[in-house]
Amino acid sequence: MFMSEVKIPVIGTLLALSIAVSSAMAGDKIQKNVDGALIYPIKNNSYQGYAVNPQKTNGFNHGRAPTTAEIKAWDIDVMPDGTGLPEGKGSVEQGDELYTAQCAMCHGDFGMGGKGYPTLSGGEGTLKNQLVNPEAGDEPPSRTIGSYWPYASTLYWYVQSAMPFPNPKSLTNDETYALVAYMLSINEIQIDGEDLDDDYVLDRAKFLKIKMPNEDGFYPEVNGDVGSKEMSKYLNNADNFGQGTRCMKDCGDTPIVKIAYELNDFHPTPSTAKGLPKEKEGEEISEAQKIYEATCSACHANAAIGAPVVGDKEAWDTLLKEKGIEEIYKNGIDGINAMPPKGGNMDLSDEKTKIVIDYMIQAK
Amino acid sequence: MNTTIKNRVGDQTTSFSTDSRRGFLRGMFVSVAAASVLAPIKLKADDAAILEEAEWGVKLGYPTNKHPYGIPSPYEHNNVRRVTELLSSGDMYASVAMSPLHEQEGIITPNGLFFNRSHGGTAVVDPDKYRLMIHGLVEKPLVLTLAQLKRYPSESRIHFIECPANGSTGWRGPQFNNLQFMKGMMSSAEWTGVKLSVVLADLGLKPKAKWMLAEGSDNSEMGRTIPIEKVLDDAMLVWGQNGEALRPDQGYPVRLLVPGWEGNLNVKWLKRLEFGEEPWHAKEETSKYTMLQPSGKGIRFFWPMEVNSIITSPCPEKPWTDLKKGDMVEIQGLAWSGQGTIKAVDLSLDGGKNWQEISLKGLILPKSWTRFSYMMKWEGKPLLLSSRAIDDAGNVQPTINQEVAKVGVESVYHRNSICTWEVKANGEVNNVHVRG
Ligand code: HEC
Ligand code: HEC
Repeated sequence: MFMSEVKIPVIGTLLALSIAVSSAMAGDKIQKNVDGALIYPIKNNSYQGYAVNPQKTNGFNHGRAPTTAEIKAWDIDVMPDGTGLPEGKGSVEQGDELYTAQCAMCHGDFGMGGKGYPTLSGGEGTLKNQLVNPEAGDEPPSRTIGSYWPYASTLYWYVQSAMPFPNPKSLTNDETYALVAYMLSINEIQIDGEDLDDDYVLDRAKFLKIKMPNEDGFYPEVNGDVGSKEMSKYLNNADNFGQGTRCMKDCGDTPIVKIAYELNDFHPTPSTAKGLPKEKEGEEISEAQKIYEATCSACHANAAIGAPVVGDKEAWDTLLKEKGIEEIYKNGIDGINAMPPKGGNMDLSDEKTKIVIDYMIQAK
Repeated sequence: MNTTIKNRVGDQTTSFSTDSRRGFLRGMFVSVAAASVLAPIKLKADDAAILEEAEWGVKLGYPTNKHPYGIPSPYEHNNVRRVTELLSSGDMYASVAMSPLHEQEGIITPNGLFFNRSHGGTAVVDPDKYRLMIHGLVEKPLVLTLAQLKRYPSESRIHFIECPANGSTGWRGPQFNNLQFMKGMMSSAEWTGVKLSVVLADLGLKPKAKWMLAEGSDNSEMGRTIPIEKVLDDAMLVWGQNGEALRPDQGYPVRLLVPGWEGNLNVKWLKRLEFGEEPWHAKEETSKYTMLQPSGKGIRFFWPMEVNSIITSPCPEKPWTDLKKGDMVEIQGLAWSGQGTIKAVDLSLDGGKNWQEISLKGLILPKSWTRFSYMMKWEGKPLLLSSRAIDDAGNVQPTINQEVAKVGVESVYHRNSICTWEVKANGEVNNVHVRG
C-alpha cells in the first residue's frame, strides 16, 4: 500500500497550512492516503468521536463461491489490454444500419448530436479550447469518442452494457463490433493505417490494434506498475489544482461579476411559499375528456342540437341497442346527418375518436 | 353534539348545537374579527392567529393510522428536489435532481430530498433477487445475498456525497441565482453498512490486487475503478441511510460508500466488485469525470472532493428582505472536505478583502458537512458575503482566480472556489463572482 507520511514540520513550512494542522495534530505524525486525505487511526476504541467495537471482526463464513458460469455472466467488462473482449465481427455497413435503426434518433445522424443527447463524433483539435468569453468568439472543446476517449475498449464495453439507452444489454457481440466499427469510422479513426470503409469488418484481432487518437491525452499515469503513485503525488499537493491562501487583512481588490445570462429553466418552479397549492384543476382529466371538451361538447352537451347528450344514459343505451357499437363508431368517424366526421376535427385518428366515443357513452 | 367555541376577543362563550353549523358560524367570526381590525386602536396589533381559535385546534387531527409511512406537512410542498434540462444528457433518465439546500437544517439530508444523479434512471431492485459478487484477485471469491451481507458487523458514519460537477455552471461566471442549483448536487446522511476491509480480511486479497472495479446493476451498469488504498481505509458497503433502508435513488439495496470521494464513485445498486492489477477505464472515468486542462490534456482519477463551503443563510431563496435595521441575524452555512475534517471557516463581509475566523457549530466529523455560524447586526447596508473553509489536511479553499489559474474553465468537475452572495440594501441576495 502506498501512503505518504508527512511530518508536521514539513507542512508547517507552508504558512497557510500551519494554522490548519497544528493544534489537534501537534506532535503526531499525520498519515495521508493516495487522495491527500488524512488517515485517522482508531484510538482508544474511537474513530474521530465514533465509538468502535474493538472485538475481532473476521472469521465469517457468509455466502458461497460463485460458479464459473455466474462469473462469466456478470464479468463482461472489457479492459484496454483486451481482457474480457469476446470474439465476434461486424462491418461498418452493418453498424451503419444498426445505428440508423437504434441510435440515430438520439445521437443524431453520423453521431453529430443536436438532439440533447451526447455527440458521438467530431471535435478533433478542440481540446485546447477554453470558452471564456462567447462574445469574443470563444468555442468550447468538444469531447467525443474520436477527440477525447483514450481507449476503444471502453466503447465496446459501454455500448454493450448500457446502449441503446431504452433497451440496453440487447446487442450481440457481432452487432457491438459492427456499431463500434461504425462509430470509429464516423470519427475517421484508422486501424493499423487502414481507413474504415463501409465493407471494413472489425473483429477481435483488429480491435486489439486500435490506438485512439487521444490515448496519451490524460495524466497522471495510472497504468502498469505506476499504479496509484503518480495520482497520489498529484492529489497530495493542492497547488496542482488550486490551493487557497489564508490572507486575513487587505487581501486585494474585489471586483464583482454579476450574472450575465441567468439560467432559470427549473422544474418545479422554485418557491419557498408555504401556502397550500390550489387544487390542481384538470389534473385528473383524461385525454379523452379533454378532446371531448375541446371538440365535441359544443354539440353534445346541448340537447337542442339533436345530438345524443353526454350523461344521458338512456339516449346512448337506445343507440347502442339499435345500432351496436361498431356502427356508432363508424358514424362518429364518418359523420351522420348534422354530425360532422370526427366532430370536425380531422386531426383525430380513428382510434382516438373511438376512445372519445367510449368516454362519451360512459360519462355520467 | 354540543360544541363550544370561545371567542377570545369578546371573552364570550357561545354554544352551538350542531357540528354542521360550525363552518358557517366560524365564517361569521372571521368577519367579526376582520371588522374589528378596522375599529379603534385597541385591537390594531391583535393577531387573528392568536385571537381566533386555530382551525386545527377545534377538530380532531388525522388518526395515527392515516400515514403508516409518515409524510412532511402539506405546507412544506415547496421543499422539493428540482431539475433543469441544462444538466441532463437528453432526458430525465440521465440527469440530476438537485437537493434544496436552502431548506435544510443541521448536517443530515432527509432521505426524500437527497440529490439524485443517475445514468439510466433509478433502478428498483428486488431485494430477494439481490446478489453481490466479489471476485478477481481474491483468495476466496464470494456471492452474497442481502441477508448474508447484513450479517457482517455494521458501523454507521455521517458523510456527505457530492457530485464533482456541483457548481460546474460557475466556471465561466455566475449563471444560476439560487443555492439549490448552484450547490444542490450534494447531500449528507448517516450511512450504515460494513467496512470493505472487514469483508476483505475474510476473503483475502491477493498481493497483486491494486484496483477494484465497482459496478452497478442498473440500466447503465455504471462502473468505476477505485484504488486499493481507499478500499482498505474507509470504504463501506452500505444498506442503511438515516436509519432506514437506502432509498432506490441512493442505490437500494446496497451501494458502495467511498467517504469524501466523487459522488459517482459511490456506485449505486451495487452488483459486482472485481479486484485487479490494472484500472478499468470505464466510461465514467474517461469520457466523463475527467478534467480537461488548458493544455488540452485531461486529469483522470481525480477522486477526492476538495475543501469547500457555502453560506446557506442568507441565500437568494432565503433573503433578508424581512429584516429591519438593527436586527440581529445569523449567517450560517456548510463547510466540508473529502480530504479531512473541517478545521476552520473564515467569513468576509466585503467579498474577500478582509476576513475573520468564525465559529463552527454542531458535530465536527471527518468527510462530513460541518455547520458554521456568525451573528451580526443588520444595518441595511450592502454586503458581499464569502466563506472560506480550511481542513485539517492543510487545504485552504481557493479564490476563483486561484483555481482558474491552475485548471482553466473547461474542467467541468471539481470546482471548489469561494462563493460570494451580494446582499443588497433591501435584503435581496444574488449570486456574484469576485474576480480580484
Ligand atoms: C433514447 C436515446 C438514446 C438511444 C436510442 C441511444 N442512446 Fe446512447 N446515450 C444516450 C444517453 C442519455 C447517454 C448518456 C448517458 C449518461 O449520461 O451516462 C448516451 C451515451 C452514449 C455514449 C457515450 C457518449 C459519451 O461521449 O459519453 C455512446 C458511445 C452511446 N450512447 C452509443 C449509443 C449507441 C451505439 C446506440 C445505439 C445502439 C445508442 N447510444 C442509442 C441516449 C441514447
Ligand atoms: C357540430 C355539432 C357536433 C359536433 C362538434 C360533434 N357532434 Fe357528434 N353528433 C352531432 C349530431 C347532431 C348527432 C346526431 C346525428 C343524428 O343522429 O342525426 C351526433 C351524433 C354523434 C354520435 C352518434 C352516432 C350515431 O350512430 O348515432 C357519435 C358517436 C358522435 N356524435 C360523436 C362525436 C364525437 C366523438 C365528437 C367530437 C370529436 C362529436 N360527435 C362532435 C353533432 C356534433
